[in-house]
Amino acid sequence: MKFLTLLKKELRELLSLTTILTLIGSVVLLIAIGGVMDSAVEEAASSEGEIVICNKDDGAFSDAVIESLKTAGYEVKEVELTDGDYAPQLSDLEVESVVIIPETFSSSITDVLAGKLGEDGKIAPVDVEYVSKMTSLSAMSNVDAGSQMALSAIESAVKSVVYANKNMSLAEIELIEAPVNLIETTVVGEKQAEASSMLLSSYSMMTGMIVPIVIFVLIVYSSQMIMNAVSTEKIDKTLETLLTAPVSRLSVLMAKMVAATVVSALFAVAFMVGFNNMMGGMTDMVSGEIDSAVISELGLNMTTGAYVLLGLQMFMSLLITLAVSLILGALAKDAKSSQTLMMPIMGMAMVPYMLSMFVSINDMGPAKWIMYAIPYTHTFIAQENVIFGNMPLYFGGLIYQAILLVICMTIAVRLFMSDKLFTITFNFGEKKNKYAKKKSLFSK
Amino acid sequence: MAKVLEVKELSKQYKKGVYAANKVSFDIEEGEIFALIGPNGAGKTTTIRMISTLLQATEGDAVVAGHSILTDPKGVRECITYLPDEAGAYKTMTGKQYLEFMAGIFANDKNTAKQYVQNATEMCGLGDRLSDKIGSYSRGMIRKLLLSRAVMSRPKLAILDEPTSGLDIINALEIRRMIKELAAKYGMSFLLSSHNMLEIEFVSDRVGIIAKGRLLELGRPNELKIKHNVGNLEEVFERVVKDNEISDLA
Ligand SMILES: Nc1ncnc2c1ncn2[C@@H]1O[C@H](COP(=O)(O)OP(=O)(O)O)[C@@H](O)[C@H]1O
Ligand SMILES: [Mg+2]
Repeated sequence: MKFLTLLKKELRELLSLTTILTLIGSVVLLIAIGGVMDSAVEEAASSEGEIVICNKDDGAFSDAVIESLKTAGYEVKEVELTDGDYAPQLSDLEVESVVIIPETFSSSITDVLAGKLGEDGKIAPVDVEYVSKMTSLSAMSNVDAGSQMALSAIESAVKSVVYANKNMSLAEIELIEAPVNLIETTVVGEKQAEASSMLLSSYSMMTGMIVPIVIFVLIVYSSQMIMNAVSTEKIDKTLETLLTAPVSRLSVLMAKMVAATVVSALFAVAFMVGFNNMMGGMTDMVSGEIDSAVISELGLNMTTGAYVLLGLQMFMSLLITLAVSLILGALAKDAKSSQTLMMPIMGMAMVPYMLSMFVSINDMGPAKWIMYAIPYTHTFIAQENVIFGNMPLYFGGLIYQAILLVICMTIAVRLFMSDKLFTITFNFGEKKNKYAKKKSLFSK
Repeated sequence: MAKVLEVKELSKQYKKGVYAANKVSFDIEEGEIFALIGPNGAGKTTTIRMISTLLQATEGDAVVAGHSILTDPKGVRECITYLPDEAGAYKTMTGKQYLEFMAGIFANDKNTAKQYVQNATEMCGLGDRLSDKIGSYSRGMIRKLLLSRAVMSRPKLAILDEPTSGLDIINALEIRRMIKELAAKYGMSFLLSSHNMLEIEFVSDRVGIIAKGRLLELGRPNELKIKHNVGNLEEVFERVVKDNEISDLA
């Protein structure tokens, strides 16, 4: 009964109104991000067919090219631009990019058709200018690849105009325009599917970025939560009161651990739900280009089993974080030292987090063993391990974490069962011995 | 009269060779208010924490109502309550929630817990403020809440470390009055500590003077004043410390 009283109190402390609001807020945020991505995709798709053209050429060929762009299904918007400063003009026109067909356009095509060569004895290519605005550093916003699209659209328009002048049949034109059809097969682990590896890797890069963020936030947040709760008890001396009360010290410790675990599990589940929703938005983003069946055929999507394995890893990391934070929080002498004591946990989460975003830790050579020694690494690479079927590595990491957890728990129990809790303190940033000073004042 | 606490040559070394408490011995009888007095760093809190089973004694023993801190710390905890110096309470709880939580820890059944909460509610004098968050309490209010918590189970021995330090005169007076009343009414014993030697005269039946970990003098305030032929406990302390330095040199 007393354990329940303790547990209830711990839960109430951890699940304060602000915590619950944070939790709900994060989930809503994740879902909202998914929604934003969804609509970003739609927007990109809707503007896909539009080309803004400034036609400075008054020859017949530029009109023919624009005409053939229109027949090819593009929506062509013609604007006027003057030479020089493009930035204010783009803003005034409210367009992101403009294709400029120069004055010499028709005459150079006429030259080519007449077999006229340039000064270097080769056919002079036809110039087309492309002006676009870079609006953000986010890869997603710049992903619409306007220049590529404009170039290839105009290229094929020029080609068909030229071929039409040469009296070629439609079939001949088609063969010349696309002489080779590339059938790409991508192999993932032991599975394979017909899909472009470039598209797939951009898909997995996006999805691979989200999980580490969630893990990192979760580790830092729960660590801070426990550390605050325990160090406040220590600083307010409510812990001393509890430990002189007629309850066993083990139940005081266990109530803290169980409550922290429950709250963290709640967080993990909530984050996963939000995350999953967000992934829904992400998948829609690429589904225009890759068949989502292909993604699941390759096992690149997160199946239920993969979610369970990833969740298990996250939970393990959380338990270790909780045990370590509990120990560090109990040893903190004031709020400032408890902040300082958080640094090693932050560091241990930060290093594998940053690294896993840019490199594959499993391919790092001997240095990877240093990374494997950091318990959080295994959580950051869990998704990769599960998707690519590195199960020995996944379970090896899990066992390593389990061993670390047992060690941390043993230390925590030892700490609470002895008087070390009151004799060892980490005391950063404060004058060392305030007693010594007062003593010397007194003996004067 | 029955002894509630017997402290027998209790010593503590945080570092080897340095005694924070050095063979401290004293007794407390039933219904008695005993105060350890001495300057900061004298070893009061160290001694108190050993008796409260928070710290392990390096040498010596203390027996609370027949339970030794060495062999039966659990039994000791059944008989005592402890109020740490400069203690706070859970800021996000209301005063009432705090009392209910602590009662749930100390009592073995619901009715007893209810009784404890009622005891504390009557004593603390906080009235309606009990339903406010502790975070909004003043120092004096927190101390009164914690003191009534410490005595709500009517323990055989209540251990209060610096119960009035940092309080204004009115609050300190109220706290001292509460302590005296409880000892008289319920026969509870108190172990107090203070570095303010003047105020402790008014509340304690007997005092022990402690400096540099050693208990130098024991007795009733009046007897000590007569013995050393001085007007107050501060002067008693000065004499005792000087006499000891001389005997140390000899
Ligand atoms: N946790 C600790 N570790 C090491 N030394 C300590 C610790 N707590 C107290 N001390 C030392 O023990 C001596 C007695 O301290 P304390 O019992 O707190 O004195 P008081 O309560 O009388 O002011 C002081 O010299 C103090 O520096
Ligand atoms: Mg003290």
